[in-house]
Amino acid sequence: MKLGITRGALLAAVLAALPFGVTPAQAAGTLTISSPQDPGSWDPIDTFLVNWSSVATNIYDGLVYRGPDTKIVPGLATEWDVLDEGKRLRFKLREGVKFHNGEDFNAEAVKFTFDRLLGEEGKKGPQRSNYAVIEKVEIVDDFTVDLVLTQPDPVLITKLAGYGAMIVPPKYVTENEEDFVNANPVGTGPFKMTSYEPKVGVKLEAFADHWGGAPKLDAVEYRFISEPATAVAELQAGRVDIVIPPTIPISMVPTIEADDKLEIRSVTSPTVYALRFNTGNGITADERVRKAMIMAVDRKAIIDAVLGGQAKQIASFQSELSFGYDPEMEPLPFDQAKAKELLKEAGIAAGAPVQIDIRGNDATFGEVTQAVASYLQMVGLNATIKPYETNVLLNDIIPQGKTGEMFQQSWGGWTLDYDNTAYLMYHTGERWNPYDSDKELDALLESQRPMIDAEKREKVLQEIAHYAADRALEMPLYNLNALYGVNKRVKNFIAPPDSRMRLNEVEVE
Amino acid sequence: MAQAVSRLRHFKNIEFILGVLLAGTMTLAVLFSPLLFPGGGEQIDLAARLTKPFTDWTHILGTDPLGRDVLARVVTGGKISLLVGFTSVAGAVVVGVVMGLISGYYRGFWDMLVMRFADVQLALPFILLAITFIAIVGGGITNTIVLLIVSQWVQYARLVRGSVLSLNDREFIHAAKAIGVPDFKILFQHLLPNLAGPVIVLMTLNVATNILLESSLTFLGLGVDPTIPSWGGMLADGRTYLQNAWWVSVFPGLAILFTVLGLNLLGDWLRDLLDPTGRTET
Repeated sequence: MKLGITRGALLAAVLAALPFGVTPAQAAGTLTISSPQDPGSWDPIDTFLVNWSSVATNIYDGLVYRGPDTKIVPGLATEWDVLDEGKRLRFKLREGVKFHNGEDFNAEAVKFTFDRLLGEEGKKGPQRSNYAVIEKVEIVDDFTVDLVLTQPDPVLITKLAGYGAMIVPPKYVTENEEDFVNANPVGTGPFKMTSYEPKVGVKLEAFADHWGGAPKLDAVEYRFISEPATAVAELQAGRVDIVIPPTIPISMVPTIEADDKLEIRSVTSPTVYALRFNTGNGITADERVRKAMIMAVDRKAIIDAVLGGQAKQIASFQSELSFGYDPEMEPLPFDQAKAKELLKEAGIAAGAPVQIDIRGNDATFGEVTQAVASYLQMVGLNATIKPYETNVLLNDIIPQGKTGEMFQQSWGGWTLDYDNTAYLMYHTGERWNPYDSDKELDALLESQRPMIDAEKREKVLQEIAHYAADRALEMPLYNLNALYGVNKRVKNFIAPPDSRMRLNEVEVE
Repeated sequence: MAQAVSRLRHFKNIEFILGVLLAGTMTLAVLFSPLLFPGGGEQIDLAARLTKPFTDWTHILGTDPLGRDVLARVVTGGKISLLVGFTSVAGAVVVGVVMGLISGYYRGFWDMLVMRFADVQLALPFILLAITFIAIVGGGITNTIVLLIVSQWVQYARLVRGSVLSLNDREFIHAAKAIGVPDFKILFQHLLPNLAGPVIVLMTLNVATNILLESSLTFLGLGVDPTIPSWGGMLADGRTYLQNAWWVSVFPGLAILFTVLGLNLLGDWLRDLLDPTGRTET
């Protein structure tokens, strides 16, 4: 028995309106997704986790929307203009949009959202600094709103498509307790949350009144499964339809590929991996040693063997999706003879110790590092690996400058703009830059931030990438694909590069 | 009756022989690993990664995801595992038995001090203790051993204390006290041999647990440098490959199994040999 889409959605809506205790029949229209992490709070201003977005992209809308093709398209705003030389953005808002709780969406809701994000409440969360360039929000009329900026920001329009800029209902947020709002999010998106069990999962239900039309699925269930083997076993058993990144390790790809009912979707992601150098002290303070170490390692061979071709070699610390990527740029070649020569020139004795600090829980990267260590042994360096608990490494060892000669850095950056990486990695005094201070590099980094001329800005970003590579500030390794394990009964699912997936077009058989 | 006893003896001999065979072979192989495999299984060969076992004579047990020889790594890896397993148990036994004897024999203040301390420690989950400990003093082999001693002496202390409490009221202890045998002699000559049985059994089990704990520490990134092979580390590394390359984790797993089984059999045999009550015919 096949119900029409609208009738199915209508049925779901009717059932949802029934008193508590009546559950809708498990129709074929339910999709189950395995996500590795419970973000804890669903409030947009409380999070920076990509797996928050994997769920929340379906609950909330932003003024603009960025889909799997990474193009910015209208969301809650139908059109927008850049005024005052980039210091004022005027948005025309969509009319007749309602929040899941029945509240109306209008200019007031936009102003409330940003006032909250930039005010006292936003201060407590990690999102505020991303939007600090917004000075104030001015309501022109009920459906026109201006964002007034302190200086032009070319990346802001992208940032309005996610995270802190998701529009929240003013009445609902002010009238309810913070903890309640965190656990019961209300937005304008195609799905509404019906239940949230911390550490277990969330259930979403189609929101038939969505401005873009009712979603094709009746319900979506997310289960939080952090253990890769468990997630893959559930996928094989058919209890999970999609396993989203970052879950599936490279080593399990053949297992999924061997199953007729399943497939692997591998898409270019913004995630890049590098082993960065301690440029402050030790033998790696010498640029020649850093270059020698890069040349000593056959990065291509590691990617082909250990990563099974699910990654691309990089020359600078960004993916090809990133604004500022230079396709012409070539990584340093694999040349052990030259490496030995450089080490000799720098006066490094055979057996000099090199300690590599990594996250202990990343099995794939652990293997990569062991291969790197082994290549470094070949040119006479005594490489050892020191795994840390992830939080210790990220919150203590790196920011305090207590690393060994090299340390792991993996970086995503959903805005797909090299500024978001380069500024935080190379600018003096930044949290992720405990060792280096380079006036020339600082100046370059600062100069591109207010540029509205995209072409000019791209040139500067490319220059920064070359500059960092010339100084060999890190050993760039690879850009890892995002791996989705998908049951073939799922139709119309486009795997996004950044795990922020919207499921309103998806169907299941 | 006599027949039954001799059959039992016979069985005990098999236990002994098997135990020596299993644990002995593993220990000898591990001890002579520098001669057998001078490279220590550290040589990577990306072209030969995940070679199947018994297909290539240079890699009889196959290779791991980085193309390193599994046999060489199993044999070399035993060094860390056995070193950590044995020394940590030995340390825990020394500390635990002494503490247990003192608190069981003297009771009162010392008993309260030691046992409350033990209670506090038992209330702490191992992983929490491990993360705190490693965060303060850092990882590495020595620190891992110390951590295991710190976390496990309690078991021995409680076991020993319990036994001492029940032995304290036995005639031979009363008699020893009555004729004025000094305390340390009572503790080590009269009490200790009577406690040896359960302690040795716990020890043999514990060596196995500690080999596994070392592996979980390494797995969490709190233990030993991953470039040095260890059974636990190899198990953890091979875990995600289990469905398409079973040999990476199965062989180190078998190595642990044989060693632990051998040690348990030896422990059984040793307990019967040492247990004073076991010498009467039962």
